Amino acid sequence: MNTRPENLHETERLTVSRRNFLKGSAGLVVAFSIVDPTTLLAAAGEAEGKSAGSPSSSKLYAWLAIDPDNTATLFTGKVETGTGVETALAQIAAEELEFPVDRLDVVMGTTSRTVDQGPTYGSMTVRYAGPQIRHAAAAARKALLDMAAGHFKLPAQQLIARDGKVAVIGAPDQSVTFGELVDGKRLDIDIEATGKGFGLKVAPDAPVKDPSTYSVVGQSLRRKDIPGKVTGQFTYIQDVKVDGMLHGRVVRPYGVGARLESVDETGLKDIPGFVQVVRRENFLGVVAETEWAAIKAAEKLGSTLDPQGPQAAQAKWGDWSDLPEQKEIWETLRKTAGGNTSISSKGSVDMALPFAARTIKATYETPFQMHGSIGPSCAIADVRADSATIWGGTQMPHEIRGNMAQMLGIDEDRIDLVWHEASGAYGRNGLEHVIPDAALMSQAVGRPVRVQWMRWDEHGWEPKGPPIVQDLTGALDADGNVVAWRHHMWVPTTGDTRLVAVELAGLPEIGSEGQGDAAITYAYTFDNADVACHGMGRVGLLTAWLRSPAQFETTYAMEAFIDELAAEAKQDPLSFRLKYLGDQRAVEVLRAAAEAYGWEPRPSPAPQQDGKLAKGRGIAWVNRDDARVATIADVTVDRESGEIRVKRVVVAHDCGLVVNPDGLRNQIEGNVIQSLSRTLHEEVMFDRSRVTSLDWQGYPILRFEEIPDQIDIVFVNNRPEYPSFGGGEPSTCPTAAVISNAVFDAIGVRLRRTPFRPERVKAAMSRTG
Amino acid sequence: MANPVTLNVNGQDHSVEADPDSMLLYALRDDLGLHGPKFGCGLSQCGACTVLMDGAATRSCVTPVSAAAGTKIVTLEGLGTIDKPHPLQQAFIDEQAVQCGYCINGMIMTAKVFLDDNPHPSRDEIKQALNDNLCRCGTHMRIVRAIERAAKGGQG
Repeated sequence: MNTRPENLHETERLTVSRRNFLKGSAGLVVAFSIVDPTTLLAAAGEAEGKSAGSPSSSKLYAWLAIDPDNTATLFTGKVETGTGVETALAQIAAEELEFPVDRLDVVMGTTSRTVDQGPTYGSMTVRYAGPQIRHAAAAARKALLDMAAGHFKLPAQQLIARDGKVAVIGAPDQSVTFGELVDGKRLDIDIEATGKGFGLKVAPDAPVKDPSTYSVVGQSLRRKDIPGKVTGQFTYIQDVKVDGMLHGRVVRPYGVGARLESVDETGLKDIPGFVQVVRRENFLGVVAETEWAAIKAAEKLGSTLDPQGPQAAQAKWGDWSDLPEQKEIWETLRKTAGGNTSISSKGSVDMALPFAARTIKATYETPFQMHGSIGPSCAIADVRADSATIWGGTQMPHEIRGNMAQMLGIDEDRIDLVWHEASGAYGRNGLEHVIPDAALMSQAVGRPVRVQWMRWDEHGWEPKGPPIVQDLTGALDADGNVVAWRHHMWVPTTGDTRLVAVELAGLPEIGSEGQGDAAITYAYTFDNADVACHGMGRVGLLTAWLRSPAQFETTYAMEAFIDELAAEAKQDPLSFRLKYLGDQRAVEVLRAAAEAYGWEPRPSPAPQQDGKLAKGRGIAWVNRDDARVATIADVTVDRESGEIRVKRVVVAHDCGLVVNPDGLRNQIEGNVIQSLSRTLHEEVMFDRSRVTSLDWQGYPILRFEEIPDQIDIVFVNNRPEYPSFGGGEPSTCPTAAVISNAVFDAIGVRLRRTPFRPERVKAAMSRTG
Repeated sequence: MANPVTLNVNGQDHSVEADPDSMLLYALRDDLGLHGPKFGCGLSQCGACTVLMDGAATRSCVTPVSAAAGTKIVTLEGLGTIDKPHPLQQAFIDEQAVQCGYCINGMIMTAKVFLDDNPHPSRDEIKQALNDNLCRCGTHMRIVRAIERAAKGGQG
């Protein structure tokens, strides 16, 4: 936990040298920077040959430490991104270790102190890192029992570990604390560990507890980070200060692919505190003693909210206008070469269609969207000749350390990536990209440099979620049964891991472009089905994963189109889905949502309503990486303004055994609101040169006045015999379909392009007549 | 480099060397080492940088240091601490009304001024009061509940 009390009066500007900083002054230094001096060794270059490499996963000390005061620390390569996994993982460790969770600290992400357990994404932390930690903690409990057996000179079978102590069974007053047993030593005990990242298997034979006996897992423990966060005592990556640190700002090209022609430095030296311009090919930045000086210098070179053209500021860029036309983006996708993948192929759609009584077709279109973190991305880099320390908030510290080793030509074991939590990212945003920005600037000036993006850098240059277009065809027989289903989708990459600064600086490529995939779990049992995806690389803007990448969009099309078929068949949309589902867990979440909502079967649209506000209900579900979610919402549609308001939302959620129920509720509420925002408001605007949605006016998101009145959440299959699947993002997926279906229910108009802004709703109403 | 400016922050005077046109936010964060007010947009659009200036909720990212001199500034740190949280901070803890928490400074500081003026607000009034504060994690439901709880003297 990155919380450390600070006293304002201690935070005087420090001028201690790096050497003095390392030697002492800990009180002062701690007040100004939360940096643990031991993690600075690599950067300081004062520990020649000292490795900053990660601990071996086959040592118990890589996972856990127990101190003499009977506090403990869990080390994990996973990171907190605002979802509460710090607390959830602590619960898992405390449960198996038999240790009080409030005395268990968690160190996350820092590469020299943690094992690489894979990036923190895809709702995969509790699911994959959870069992790794569970087994390591169980191995530690066994080791402590063995130590206690020596202590009491009794067989371990006569001892019990409980609440941070080992006691003699039947003689509870005979006990010893874990801290006393470990006696200040590190847990230098070998455990079996094979594989790596998500596939790492730790201590497979450790005696893990029977989940039915859990007393910590399954409890709504309060999150460890919240008290610090509500009092300003928490240290985000944006708050980290390093001795001798300068401030940098990037100056991005006017056009996405524009070449930097010249930089006129007139007036920069007149800015008090200005240090220098850093230029490498098309990578441009400024470095200064103060943040304000860096901002003013960057402004002169063209870093502003509203740049007037490629040649308007003191950095002169060539003309570049090779982005696709925004209004033709979906046609552009259809014309872009890529690879085709079949997700489901059953029977023959083409041979079934001639026998259909009714065939309907629809196209669903979704735009570029952004992560839109409230705090722009930030990193600090201290790059030396043969070592580096980087402070970052990335969701993949171990992987980025490798990227930086490649970029800087420094051995990976000589780079420490010190992790601190950032503003929520919801995927791959600017946090990975700001690290090479800082590293290139630090390398150029020979001092630590902190770079924080400006709002327009974040909006303009964070990787986006891609636009997607989807064609669907469905056919019914005379009785309203589905006889054919075709769903074709065109999806650009959601996994481009190339780094902006590396590309701009013309350095050898790091990462890869990736290819779009459908990210869909097709589960209907139609006799004739053809579900396929045309996956592409980068189309226009840099794209990467954004919460439930591509599956938010593909669920929208699949679950809105089946609603279209149900309406065409004049059948209740829930019953219609249930007829074609063999997936029992899908059936269970749909039924649980319907029960919690009080669903009465009837076809959509609802009977004709009078008045300005029309009411409707919508339903949809998803299987995202083995979690099942069904969502139902009530909306009102203002027939005059076209405005949609969401009144009540019901979510039935099955991600197996829930580690922290309140933490999961918090996540589900967040997913619902964020995905409502994406459904109702969000579309990245761009011209042929650049993104033009550069602030919150250009990219509006949902505000307080628009939040639902109520979000009801039901857990399904939250039982010990189920493994824990992910809960960080599945409940994003159904929302656009739910709202589209609810609007249809209310006013009989089908919305097939997000976002559902009032003018679009009115246009759709006028088309329908 | 620049003239010293005296800022009264959380009851203490501090001398800060800053360009008078530079924004208060940077003086608070970089010179005084405060973590409560955050840089979110620099455009007065999101509210993450909110502080109290003479009791008014103020966006410190667009408030020049020169305009802040001579006022009484209160930041999130000035309300309470982990050991002694302000009732509003306690209400946010009780409701677990945080996800990433980057916006929460603005929520609490805006709510502080709002509740001072309107101690018994309706839910709609709370939503209106926070409508110019952005949260991206979608913690809105809990934030509203936390403010309701604080208004009820800590009762949920």
